[in-house]
Amino acid sequence: MPTVTVHLPSLLEPVTGGVRELTASGGSLREVLDDLVAREPRLKPHLFNEAGEFRRHVLCFHNGTNTRWLACLDAPVADGDTVLFMQAVSGG
Amino acid sequence: MGVRLLVGTSKGGFWVTSDDRREWAVEGPFFKGWKVTAGLRLAGGGFMAAVASDIYGPAIFLSADGEEWEQVEEGPAYPDGDDRRLRQVWTLREHRGTVYAGVQDAGLFTSGDGGRSWKPVPGLNDHETRGGWMPGAGGLCCHAVLFDHANPDRVWCGISAVGVFRTDDGGTTWTPKNRGVYWAHEDEEFKEIGHCVHGMAQDPDDPGRIFRQDHSGMYRSGDGGESWTKNETGLPSGFGFPVVMDDATRYLFAVPLEADQYRLPAGGAIRVYRSTDGGDSWHSASAGLPAEHAYGGVLRGAMAVDNLDPGGVYMGTTSGTLHVSRDLGESWVNLPVMLPRVLHLSAWVG
Repeated sequence: MPTVTVHLPSLLEPVTGGVRELTASGGSLREVLDDLVAREPRLKPHLFNEAGEFRRHVLCFHNGTNTRWLACLDAPVADGDTVLFMQAVSGG
Repeated sequence: MGVRLLVGTSKGGFWVTSDDRREWAVEGPFFKGWKVTAGLRLAGGGFMAAVASDIYGPAIFLSADGEEWEQVEEGPAYPDGDDRRLRQVWTLREHRGTVYAGVQDAGLFTSGDGGRSWKPVPGLNDHETRGGWMPGAGGLCCHAVLFDHANPDRVWCGISAVGVFRTDDGGTTWTPKNRGVYWAHEDEEFKEIGHCVHGMAQDPDDPGRIFRQDHSGMYRSGDGGESWTKNETGLPSGFGFPVVMDDATRYLFAVPLEADQYRLPAGGAIRVYRSTDGGDSWHSASAGLPAEHAYGGVLRGAMAVDNLDPGGVYMGTTSGTLHVSRDLGESWVNLPVMLPRVLHLSAWVG
């Protein structure tokens, strides 16, 4: 089962006790995200809304690609891939 | 006797502490970048804080010492698929071993294990009038919870812009209690709601004696909310957000603002009004507060008392300033800080 590195924004440090880099495993991006919130269940309500979708201003990049541009989260992952969470910041 | 203030702001929490209420120390921010919206010192020891982020949503944290915080894994939440969202916790109260969380979207949740797990109060959250509940400018929020120390089955809560509700059967059923209060907006079907209660205070000896800073004025009830009368003698405006009571003297404190469409301190002066006669009359108790070019308001959760003798009164403003009085409002000291917008302030002794 591939293992990927997940990077979190600093705003989520209180949630994870200061940890910003985690690992999660799965054959697809969806499985990796499921594994991530299984390992760190406190992250789940901050990344996903009640419908199980990413919160509106949460951005998730898989190897630099915005996952919102993917047709679905079933894209395969490989060992060493990265998942990066950021918040969309708007305004001037 | 030392005092510890939890100051919750739009960008983090701060501890403001003093051993003598003269010299104050400020620590923080913790939960940097998060709104800190409510705080509670638990009867069994430790602290609870509610935080929220426009991006990442709300959470509740627990701490044994106020330094190290751990997020509760299963905080209050509406069921998946519900059209309501848990956006923010507005108030945390504890009574007889149960912690109450008043939340936005408006509702009430309780915890019997110190905040580790929560369950909704369906009699309120799914109230028959729910379809007519309208948000105030701050959102549709349950922001006040009061208890009857003589009757464990009786609880009041305040919801903006809906009104005051009371249960007499331990939370199973709730009844709007707003007779005598002007509407903020009139619902077509449910005439007993549509009231924008802002702040609530309660006489510690007579739980049915309740004071209500409402959108439409300053009210008092002597019968547990069955009826309300306006008591604004001496107030420059009936509009404002907080109302708090010093338990020892029963002095009341409020911060009137100029008219609801402006919501600014009149004349650029931050003024606290005090009632020493149970709300019959109000007088300015503002010596030392910024008297010109000061336009910070005080939100409903941003004023507190310490119930020491003489009583301390504390408030934070939307401009991030902090003001303390250790003599029941006779004089005020403006602390040399400029924090983010102050959303919440709790005062604890010891």
